[in-house]
Amino acid sequence: MDSSNDEALDIIITNVVATFRTRCHLNLRTIALEGINVIYKPEVGKVLMKLRKPKITASIWSSGKIICTGATSEDDAKLGARRLARCLQKLGFRVRFSDFKVVNVLAVCSMPFAVHLVDFTNNNRPIASYEPELHPAATYRIKTLKATVQVFSTGSITVTGPNVQAVATAVEHIYPLLFEVQKPKHRKD
Amino acid sequence: MASTSRRDALALPEVQCPNHPDALLVEDHRAGDVICPECGLVVGDRVIDVGAEWRTFTKEIATKDPSRVGDAQNPLLNGGDLTTTISKGTGAASFDEFGTSKYQNRRTMSSSDRAMLNASREITTMADRLNLPGNIIDRTNHLFKHVYEQKRLKGWSNDAIASACLYIACRQEGVPRTFKEICAVSRISKKEIGRCFKLILNALETSVDLITTGDFMSRFCSNLGLPKQVQMAATFIARKAVELDLVSGRSPISVAAAAIYMASQASAEKKTEKEIGDIAGVADVTIRQSYRLIYPRAADLFPPDFRFDTHKLPQM
Repeated sequence: MDSSNDEALDIIITNVVATFRTRCHLNLRTIALEGINVIYKPEVGKVLMKLRKPKITASIWSSGKIICTGATSEDDAKLGARRLARCLQKLGFRVRFSDFKVVNVLAVCSMPFAVHLVDFTNNNRPIASYEPELHPAATYRIKTLKATVQVFSTGSITVTGPNVQAVATAVEHIYPLLFEVQKPKHRKD
Repeated sequence: MASTSRRDALALPEVQCPNHPDALLVEDHRAGDVICPECGLVVGDRVIDVGAEWRTFTKEIATKDPSRVGDAQNPLLNGGDLTTTISKGTGAASFDEFGTSKYQNRRTMSSSDRAMLNASREITTMADRLNLPGNIIDRTNHLFKHVYEQKRLKGWSNDAIASACLYIACRQEGVPRTFKEICAVSRISKKEIGRCFKLILNALETSVDLITTGDFMSRFCSNLGLPKQVQMAATFIARKAVELDLVSGRSPISVAAAAIYMASQASAEKKTEKEIGDIAGVADVTIRQSYRLIYPRAADLFPPDFRFDTHKLPQM
């Protein structure tokens, strides 16, 4: 059971969430009226701007804080954020791109075997939690990495963590634990 | 209330009859006196009565309350009831000229005590609706007290915490109730109870055993009025289905409901999916889904000594 199995396992990053600041106050009404592909939500106080490429949705607040979601990689997130800042610059605001930080990365991965969730939870008692009434997956929180892994009985897992490196490490960490509780393969007839 | 002094509380006061120093003194409990048997001199008085507590038996509001020690201490409340409150007046002098009572503001008890009492009341009401025994209620009260003292769940409504504590207590006692059953007796939504549940487990650093299909069989089957044979068959079917891993990823409640459906349809007491769904808190389509998964292996799932009423199980 080699630990460097992530070459064989495809970890697909589905979502990267990043935040940055423009260091200037933004007038949401102006953005809502003059921007393209925007949705104004006055009851919450933000504007949603969707970029076509990279495919990103950004929540823009009047304080200048912007949350960028929907990117598929960290670089994509940075590129999208910069493009967004440029968009706002063109609308006339004195934008300064600062404090870019990737906040959350969500990745999915599929084990080549099915997992016995009851045994998995019993083996990893306080760290793993499984409530079939509430959610069909067992949640495993890795405190050191600040990452959360959700394990489904089919063997698919979703990993969320603060950056891509943590996600990869989390998959490495959890692979042996899942390997020992795998369900033997048999044909269902 | 009996005072607990440092010395042994049962030690009689060290007195002697002045006339008869070696006479053994007799204690009169009714009057609280210590009397010399030789000459009848009352040597000590105001002896504290360490006997059984006097209780009020009369229902009407007697002007003289014979119980001087009050109710039993509630260990869950802080301060052990050692506070002074001003009660409602009884005589005419307690009302001032307008007819309102003087001293109308009773000293309010501390907020944590009030919260505990309210929660206790809520818990007792909910447990009553579910017909839960006293040990679960006690456990719930203790859990609530721990959680409340911890203050980590301060933002959540006390009712939500109480409901979640009730759920945890049932689990810990080995007789789990589904979230939906707790929802039925509480005003809190399943989502909120679920969230509180996870937070409480974190805060108290405990964990609970996982639910199994067998935990709910006896309750669901009795509510449906199914005979013991069918219940045993359903338990067997559900256990077998989980062992053979036919229902991977399904909640144990759904599997139990499908097993009950299969067992009841094979016996004389046929129950519809809707009836079972109502009792178990499962949608009838969910029962249908789980049933479809276990139907192909129906022959393996039934216990060997089961007597079929009809050999034709519904196929869907």
